[in-house]
Amino acid sequence: MNETVAVLGTFQTEFKTHHPEHTFAEQAQLAAVGALQDAGMTPDDIDAIVFSLAPTYFMGVADADRWSIDYIFGAGKPMLRVHTGGATGGSAVQAGYNLVRSGLYRSVLIVGAERIAETPDAQNVLNLIFDVFYERDMPLSTNTTVGLWATRYLDRYGLTQEDMARVVVRARRNALKNPHAHLKGNVTVEDVMASRMISYPLKLFDICPRSSGSAAMIVGNMAMAKRFRSRPAFINGVASRTTTYWIGDRMTPSTDADFIDFDLAEAAARECYRIAGITDPLKQIQVTEFYDPYSIMTPVQLERLGFCASGMALRLERDGYWNVEDGAVAVNPSGGTLCTNPIAVTGLVRAIDAADQVMGKAGAMQVSNVRNALSSAVGGIAQFFNCTVFGAEPRSH
Amino acid sequence: MSVYVLGVATHPASLSESRLRLEEMAYHTARAALDAAGVTRRQLDSLTLGACDELDGRPISSMLMSAPAGGYGTDEIKVTDSGASALCLAYARFLAGESQLGLVMSWCKSSKTDVETVMRLRGDPFYTRPLGIGAAIGDALFAQAIGEEFGVTENEATRRVVNAYARAARNPRGMAHPVPTAESVNAASFDALPLRSAQRAPLTDGAVALVLASDVFLNANPYCTPLAHVAGAGWASDSYRLDSARLRSMSSARTAWRTALQQAGLQSAADLDAVELESQTGYHEAAYVRAFGIEREEALSPSGGAFAQNPIFCTGLINAAEAVLQVAGQAGAVQRPNVRRAAAHGCHGYAQQGNVVIVFERAGGVQ
Repeated sequence: MNETVAVLGTFQTEFKTHHPEHTFAEQAQLAAVGALQDAGMTPDDIDAIVFSLAPTYFMGVADADRWSIDYIFGAGKPMLRVHTGGATGGSAVQAGYNLVRSGLYRSVLIVGAERIAETPDAQNVLNLIFDVFYERDMPLSTNTTVGLWATRYLDRYGLTQEDMARVVVRARRNALKNPHAHLKGNVTVEDVMASRMISYPLKLFDICPRSSGSAAMIVGNMAMAKRFRSRPAFINGVASRTTTYWIGDRMTPSTDADFIDFDLAEAAARECYRIAGITDPLKQIQVTEFYDPYSIMTPVQLERLGFCASGMALRLERDGYWNVEDGAVAVNPSGGTLCTNPIAVTGLVRAIDAADQVMGKAGAMQVSNVRNALSSAVGGIAQFFNCTVFGAEPRSH
Repeated sequence: MSVYVLGVATHPASLSESRLRLEEMAYHTARAALDAAGVTRRQLDSLTLGACDELDGRPISSMLMSAPAGGYGTDEIKVTDSGASALCLAYARFLAGESQLGLVMSWCKSSKTDVETVMRLRGDPFYTRPLGIGAAIGDALFAQAIGEEFGVTENEATRRVVNAYARAARNPRGMAHPVPTAESVNAASFDALPLRSAQRAPLTDGAVALVLASDVFLNANPYCTPLAHVAGAGWASDSYRLDSARLRSMSSARTAWRTALQQAGLQSAADLDAVELESQTGYHEAAYVRAFGIEREEALSPSGGAFAQNPIFCTGLINAAEAVLQVAGQAGAVQRPNVRRAAAHGCHGYAQQGNVVIVFERAGGVQ
């Protein structure tokens, strides 16, 4: 019988473009200390560490996790660094979950930090993720690639840029209640449409900011949960899937992982839901925290993760289906990745925001009666997908 | 839940693999491991990678590398500490019940990378980087510290290098470097005091893959015969500081060793018939045998370890493959007699900041 895995403590800093007052290692320490304090634990209560750190090219310090080790009380302890691009934070939670669930360790600190704005232009770094022979010479970046994705999606389902803009309006509005969010405010569809075109059809407001900050989550077995947390969230399901690097191979009629509809996410969610006992996501899940650095990525996840049919998410957005206050499910009460994207820990922040909702400690963002919350993380050019279901009750599996 | 190794493969050792791109090396190695295991890629449900963006020369290198390594429709995670660290996480994933059949894979094309520059980039920008500390200086600081701690002499370090080359010369999976004389090693120039260039294992290109299976998978697929049972895995990291206390303590190495042996139900190194150490220099081997209490020279790194092949990021996972082959009785010319249990060791980071130990035993149990 495997161990039940519970969330014992969480912490995230305020996210903004720069944190000149702290070094990277100090940022990681802020998160580690914050999570320990939240859980009422000391460093000696932590058995192992998973460090969440995506490309170090942004900051220019290779393996910065090792630099941080003394700051996060990790010297002498088992530590692993996980890196799956944008999915890193979700994969880090998955790794921490496995270390506890396996019975190898009672408690694991999952921690990371990001200083992406140390580089003048992250898009130049991200051009380097493309193949050196065939793709890199084209002006491919995450912005231009997702622009192509959005163009195809809007065309396939007869939707408009204004439909996409409504996602931004909701996200920025939700973020007003998030003390950690980088971008927030009451913006209108017109504001989004008037923002600078970056990569058709994506305007500036359709795209996440470059955020710096840090985050941490502590997970533990049931014995640790009884000792340290009166109302933990339980990790009842987690799964990841990867697909081919080549985007063209995901756009052929015979592909088994269609790029535009993001079939990869459905494959991961199917397994995650199976483990977590989710058979009707719309009825059983009250909160989602999607990894959505672009406005187009919210609807495709709603559709692929079983909340509505293909091509319907943006239509339902018009009717407020995804609103926190009166929607069918509260989508990204935190404002999501559109408002805050510290790449190394974005997936971890998604997981923290979802777990906090189950633990009843989401503050002004709190949604009432949350029994299950879902978080996701996406890496590469939609090549890696990870999702996690947090529940108020443990599910044996 | 029990975890078994079903197949292993290593890329043919090479100083500079110029015929194949990195992803082709990974593909051929993964393919060979799957064939050795008698399973297909479609049967895999997990992939655990050990890879380093900086050594691979591209951010998120797993984007390109995961599919050649078998990651298509699978549940994939990458760790960046070392290849051996990936095996530790994979072990946990199996124990957790997340995977029933998975691939663990790592690679390093050292010839295409300025390894010293990558190592210097590991330095924090405030204190360490201005000192220009890279792999050579880090290893030399370690050699100095353990030399004082254990009384390791240059002659002992050199003797260990010559002996390692001699063992490596018999390894059919190794480079078969010429075996140097002690005099030639001691006459080599210093890279960083006290390390002479000839005391350091030469870097090579390589890749390694292990197919892991659960007992659930084996029960459902009785045609699959495991090579070894994974009996324990321990890993730990030391302080980032490079002071004498940290370097002399070998704390993470001892913790990793103790943890792995405890999980395997073993008391000491005497319970192991082979121990594949990652010793980047003769000083390192001298330190590890003392820290781990390895007294039987004949059990020490039968493969020749890093002196057989040394694709720096995945040398520890190659040690794991060699240990598995020892337990399975398939190590060829370097096979030790009647190996019941074998351990593999890997290290990573500045001056061996992190250490990993994995213990394998015969699949049918140890009598």
